[in-house]
Amino acid sequence: MFLKNSNLPKPVKFILLTVILTAVYLIIAVPFKVMSVIPGFTDIRPVMLLKPVFGIFFGIPGCIAFAIGNLIGDIISDSVRWTSIAGFAANFLGPFIFYLFFAKIAGKDFSLRNAKDLLKHFAVTVISSVIEALLIAPAVKLLYPEVDFMLLSLTIFLNGTAFPLLLGVPLMILMQEELGFKPLKSEKSA
Amino acid sequence: MNRLQANICLICVTLCWSTEVIIFSCIPGDVLPFTTNFICNGIAAILLGICFFRRIKNELSRSGKKLILRCLLLGVLNCGYNSLYMYGIKYFDVSTGAFTFSMTVVVLPVVLITMKKSVGAKTWLSVGLVLAGIVIALGGKMAQIQPLGLLLMLLGCVIRAVFIVKLNDFAKEHDAITLSTFVSVFVSVISFVLWFIFQPETFAAIPWTGTIIASLFIYAYFIVAFAQTLNIFAQKRATATESTIIYSLEIVFSLIWGMILPENLVERAIPTPFHIIGAVLIVAGSIVEIIEFKGKRRLKNVSEKQ
Repeated sequence: MFLKNSNLPKPVKFILLTVILTAVYLIIAVPFKVMSVIPGFTDIRPVMLLKPVFGIFFGIPGCIAFAIGNLIGDIISDSVRWTSIAGFAANFLGPFIFYLFFAKIAGKDFSLRNAKDLLKHFAVTVISSVIEALLIAPAVKLLYPEVDFMLLSLTIFLNGTAFPLLLGVPLMILMQEELGFKPLKSEKSA
Repeated sequence: MNRLQANICLICVTLCWSTEVIIFSCIPGDVLPFTTNFICNGIAAILLGICFFRRIKNELSRSGKKLILRCLLLGVLNCGYNSLYMYGIKYFDVSTGAFTFSMTVVVLPVVLITMKKSVGAKTWLSVGLVLAGIVIALGGKMAQIQPLGLLLMLLGCVIRAVFIVKLNDFAKEHDAITLSTFVSVFVSVISFVLWFIFQPETFAAIPWTGTIIASLFIYAYFIVAFAQTLNIFAQKRATATESTIIYSLEIVFSLIWGMILPENLVERAIPTPFHIIGAVLIVAGSIVEIIEFKGKRRLKNVSEKQ
């Protein structure tokens, strides 16, 4: 909100927003590196709750921050591998799907006020998680054949679906309804 | 926030609370619960204070001393029921203790009547279902329960019920973020005093490791700062009874964690048929309370009032 009201040039605002969002991502992500299901590849990631939040409320800077945050998280936990390239792409695309749907495709502005809105959000979440799993799991399998492909795909899918729905939805309700954050407007509704 | 959203938020709060056991499994047993409460509530209060400084300042200048006193009361109640649960739970095994913890929902209507507040027929039905769920889940273990443990848990449930009713009242009058921040401040201060009494070495007594620090931060973000604040916002729209009945779902989430999470995160527990029937009845009790039988007409009225 401070950035929105400031007189800074657009590119500076863009960079500042990306940096702030990356910091938010890391503050939440780093402590969870202690909980590892498949060490080195993936873990229980409540930080995925930020996926729809970053895409819907902050657009492209949010998508970039999400991807950079994930990469820095990998660096911090000493798990950077060639597959991190696929991870970077998947973590950019995850929030981007939300941005694309709610800001470009949907006919009305984002809201979670009724069952129909929630169902729509559920569908977009599932699609984005499937895309993430399709990007990361084959890349990991290709370079590390010993990894259980099904388990890895399932973990990526569940992380990408469960946390955005169980924690992300209430957070977005709180942000939109009570804290005054405005989601990006749908271009078609305007 | 409408009623549907408030109920979603309350379910999320319950879900976050149910993960406490997972986070605590990363903290060694010799770290006292007062320590965890002091540090986590302290971190949460600082975080909320930094993020919402102006909002808190405005609310303080509007409500002043009244707000502080109310937060102090909530802080004392919170520490009170947590301490009673902490000592009471020692008399139970994990699953029995968890189901006993859900007794708040049975105690709440009595507390409401004592406070001269009305309790509807639908609520009594919900309470009946949840109580049946608890009794069935406890099954044969009912006879083995030690009276002192039960008394401590029951007293904890009464204090928790008063806490929920008061929080529900105050949430409708004050800013949720400010309320959450100051409740955390008081819980943190009271917990520190208790910690100092039971472990005068305080910080020096903790075997600091990366895992402990990470777990404390996770607890502070999700259980205190996020869930507590979300809970207060939701309480603005929901009634105390609705909230308590939804909270009773915590045991259902705990059973699910016990089944699906890896053993290095949480103690593996295979639920018995009694546990499953009990959980189903608790869910049914929550659904009865949440569902609006009068249909869209009343929902429309509620949203119009907002």
